[in-house]
Amino acid sequence: MTTETQWPRWEVFKQDTPSKPHQAVGSVHAADAQHALVTARTVFVRRPSAVSLWVVPADAIFAKTAEELQSREAPSEAPSPLAERPSPFLAFRKTSHKRSMTFVDFAGQVDAVSPEEALDLARERFADGVALAWWIVPLGDVTKSDDDADTIESWFAPAKDKTYRQQSSYGVIGSHVSKHKQGRATE
Amino acid sequence: MTTLINEDPAKLAAFEARIARGEKIEPGDWMPAEYRRQLIRMISQHAHSEYVGMLPEGAWITRAPSLRRKMILIAKVQDEAGHGQYLYHAAETLGATREEMMDALLTGRAKYSSIFNYPSLTWADVGMIGWLVDGAAIRNQTMLAGCSYGPYSRAMVRICSEETFHHKQGKEMILAYANGTPKQRAMAQDALDRWWWPSLMMLGPHDQDSPNSGPLMKWGIKLKSNDEVRQEFINEHVPELQEAGLTIPDPDLHQDEHGNWVHGPIDWSEFWRVVKGGGQCNKERMDARNDAHAEGAWVREAMQAYASRALQAAD
Repeated sequence: MTTETQWPRWEVFKQDTPSKPHQAVGSVHAADAQHALVTARTVFVRRPSAVSLWVVPADAIFAKTAEELQSREAPSEAPSPLAERPSPFLAFRKTSHKRSMTFVDFAGQVDAVSPEEALDLARERFADGVALAWWIVPLGDVTKSDDDADTIESWFAPAKDKTYRQQSSYGVIGSHVSKHKQGRATE
Repeated sequence: MTTLINEDPAKLAAFEARIARGEKIEPGDWMPAEYRRQLIRMISQHAHSEYVGMLPEGAWITRAPSLRRKMILIAKVQDEAGHGQYLYHAAETLGATREEMMDALLTGRAKYSSIFNYPSLTWADVGMIGWLVDGAAIRNQTMLAGCSYGPYSRAMVRICSEETFHHKQGKEMILAYANGTPKQRAMAQDALDRWWWPSLMMLGPHDQDSPNSGPLMKWGIKLKSNDEVRQEFINEHVPELQEAGLTIPDPDLHQDEHGNWVHGPIDWSEFWRVVKGGGQCNKERMDARNDAHAEGAWVREAMQAYASRALQAAD
């Protein structure tokens, strides 16, 4: 093991439109939450569309895959201490093996005294469909981009004007590729 | 694959059944140690290639012929940095740390794609890199988007959709030159002459000479062999380059009875020479990466000081 001197890792959740859930898109390394948000914007919002970003310290996430939940072996980690009273947790889940650019999607919020209890509640409450993986995050560990109109405009709108980043702005150049497919071996 | 001896046969069978069903393996799931090792090796090499790949193009940002071309090139180089970020993250889900991976790159222990050890001599090279090098990368990455490891597959889907912009803008640049003045046409041809063979080589050794292909294909990390991907790349690009009026520098190039384009012999001794550090720019690329890391030290220190002060204020 090398001595770790890197900044902590933050998981990034992006919301593409107001009607879609926040989705885990990847991570950044950053010194603090604001730094993580700004870096996430550079890495994950180079193209439209986005309206909101959340960042969470990676070590604040309680993650379970379906395989871990099915496993009959004793859990390898000690259970989390129970809080005196329930607090809010956000539940995220992966529901499909189909190709997708994202991992878990935001499913909803539950109040619980531990991440384990929050996971149990989430599995009961958000039971529509198979869950292949779960992430449980204390609401207090989530840092969100401001959702006022000015911030949304200054953070997310500029990417929309940069049409030269879009493959569609180059159209079809030369002959369409299908022209060259005639007579070619079946792929 | 001696490491498999240590694996629990029941777990291995269940794992291989999942791959056969087309399921994605996720970070918390059980996986053979060799699967993890191969993925970390492949993903980190891939991430390093994105980072080093910024250098041949970044050199042309100040010399782009128009503001539009400059903005396109800046966006493209920024994309490559982002692709490195997506990939380093995918490797981190397997237990590799960013620091170890960066250290492996900067000390020369890790490999990156040999193609980036060739110099970009003219502005036409920037277009040819987009058309050929990114075109070859897309063929490879589209295949990897179907990879059995979820985080790698997801990174690839995101990268391919962005990489298509790189491919199209490169093609647009070359077609502009191919339809331009005699001097511009000569520049496009010269760039093709220099980038054609390295682009074929960047898809990796022939299948019979590729030591890692066996386990990679068996576990659904790679879905197609190097030669299959190379064939797809050639079939796509030969007719388009010919239509542009350019001559492919391969006297043996011909179509077989199935319509596949067949290339002449590849000079693999050159490939291995470049991989082993004997390319024109190997040293220059490593020096540039190390200089960038050293010259960025003050930014890391400033951020660390800011973070410590913010922590103190919170106490």
